[in-house]
Amino acid sequence: MSELIRLEGIVKRFDDTMVLNGIDLSVEENQFVTLLGPSGCGKTTTLRIIAGFETPDEGRVFFDGKDITNMPANERPVNTVFQNYALFPHMNVGENIAFSLRVKNKSEDEIRSRVKKALKLVNLKGFENRRIDQLSGGQQQRIAMARAIVNEPRVLLLDEPLGALDLKLRQEMEYELVRLKNELGITFIYITHDQEEALTMSDKVVVMNEGYIQQEGSPQEIYDEPVNAFVADFIGDSNIVPGQMVDERVVKIDGVEYPCIDGTEEGFPPRRRVDVVIRPEDIDIVPYGKGQWNGTIISKLFIGVHYEMLVQSEDGKVEWLLQNYDQHDVGEKIGMKVDPENIQIMHKPKSDAESAIEIDL
Amino acid sequence: MKKAIGRIYILIIMLFLYLPILTLIVLSFNEAKSMSVWTGFSLHWYAELFQSRLMMGAIVNTFSIAILAALIATIVGTMAVLGMSALKPRTENVLLGINNVPMLNADIVTGIALMLFFLMIGAPRGYMTVLFSHTVFCIPYVILSVRPRVNKNTNRLFEAALDLGASERYAFRKIVLPELWPGITSGFLLSFTMSVDDFIITYFTRGAGINTISTLIYSEVKIGIRPSLFALSTIIFVVALLVLIIVNIRQERANKHALA
Ligand SMILES: Nc1ncnc2c1ncn2[C@@H]1O[C@H](COP(=O)(O)OP(=O)(O)OP(=O)(O)O)[C@@H](O)[C@H]1O
Ligand SMILES: [Mg+2]
Repeated sequence: MSELIRLEGIVKRFDDTMVLNGIDLSVEENQFVTLLGPSGCGKTTTLRIIAGFETPDEGRVFFDGKDITNMPANERPVNTVFQNYALFPHMNVGENIAFSLRVKNKSEDEIRSRVKKALKLVNLKGFENRRIDQLSGGQQQRIAMARAIVNEPRVLLLDEPLGALDLKLRQEMEYELVRLKNELGITFIYITHDQEEALTMSDKVVVMNEGYIQQEGSPQEIYDEPVNAFVADFIGDSNIVPGQMVDERVVKIDGVEYPCIDGTEEGFPPRRRVDVVIRPEDIDIVPYGKGQWNGTIISKLFIGVHYEMLVQSEDGKVEWLLQNYDQHDVGEKIGMKVDPENIQIMHKPKSDAESAIEIDL
Repeated sequence: MKKAIGRIYILIIMLFLYLPILTLIVLSFNEAKSMSVWTGFSLHWYAELFQSRLMMGAIVNTFSIAILAALIATIVGTMAVLGMSALKPRTENVLLGINNVPMLNADIVTGIALMLFFLMIGAPRGYMTVLFSHTVFCIPYVILSVRPRVNKNTNRLFEAALDLGASERYAFRKIVLPELWPGITSGFLLSFTMSVDDFIITYFTRGAGINTISTLIYSEVKIGIRPSLFALSTIIFVVALLVLIIVNIRQERANKHALA
């Protein structure tokens, strides 16, 4: 696969606030890339710079190897599905979709057949003459898609396109989007603050916070090997606990030593203070005294398929979050163990942007 | 019982509102010049109206000034709104505040101020000064009615059009203008009625030679009103009524269409 879009050192300020702090990003042809991050981290701004609605203060944007930093939005070979759809209210569905074709002075015959094809792609055959305010949220979303793809852009930018839909519809649309992308064979750059959406659909996830890219990689990499507490915390529930390397590939947490798979080679020499991530589903429950450490269950919650439990470690200060399919009672003393490859060692945060989100209760 | 009281109440209100106008209409068809005695039906006063150079001149002035002033004010006001929307919100709010002042200002102050201004720059007072004054006092109303149509959403639609490859000019014409249109038309209609209605500002800014309907009536009052003025008022009332009915019917149709 070849590189299609590259951002180099993009810096953007609004008034005096830094919104993007030097973004480097490479998007390959046909990739489904997701920008993931909390509200206000600069996702939309990044997308608007790619679309051409915002000029970066520093840095360059390349498309197919060509510098397009100063190319106006209406000349860029990208189209956008806006967060609120931005459908033209005084035009019917057909006219909305035909807009970009009309701009290009296509013949009426061609316009009609291409609009029809686009509507078929989004499963809304025969909707040409509907008015925009007669459509449901999900239908508007599909029309926005149809309008953006009818002109066959090489890249589709999508800004939280499912944000306004309810959970069920959102999950349906996730499949639709992936199907559409495969049928069209074009590149998707997708924005969301929903980690599940990002992990299910993307080839590559880019986690952002406070105008920095925290980590990029495949969904698997992001989930299994978060590089810092922020990413670990943002991608699903985790135990993030302080620890210290005590030997090559041995980390001490809460007074207990655990074998792990990181050492000097990975940048964690003995005596280094670190953060450790252990996913709640990676902690196995064993009979009391048979595991690596022991604890008492202090609360239990049934959430659908599995139980979520909070376990207070014995003579330690750490509360562990566990997920398990088996039922255990509150107050029960249990043993716990974790495989070395499920212990993810991370550097201590260097800045606020890299630390986990504090939630005050 | 309750219903009956309600009906009577409405009837009384209608009588209070429309009886004076009805009197005027009836008197316009009265044969004699009397304002109290009915002597017989005649179109005599209508004939006088259409033969009177003075009155026809006033009618032409009134409506040509109203149309021109409304047109110019609509164009200038709409452009002002578009320009202001590109400013920082704080600057824009200050400007909008300033825009509100002339509307709250008493007409007599505006009228005298404009008169003094024309005297100062030595402009000969006449048709042009009245037109200028009317344009000036209409602009704030246009701004007030167009401004709410320009918002985040309009901007998003504009960007969406650019995103789909439209030039800025095309995007403005095809997307932004239709969005502003309801505000623009209501601004125009408002300006038109304000201009037709105005007496005080016209009175201070017109020269000796020109009259509008309102200033003409005012000067006639001093020498005694002729029933041809009733005829004129009747025509204006009927025209206004017709316009209102047409607008309402069209709106009704549009609403029905929206529901269908
Ligand atoms: N035009 C603007 N003027 C001033 N500040 C802006 C402007 N646009 C965005 N910002 C600021 O830049 C920051 C990043 O905004 P951005 O819209 O990129 O966030 P986001 O990641 O898309 O958030 P969300 O998930 O809420 O949409 C925010 O703090 C926002 O207030
Ligand atoms: Mg956003």
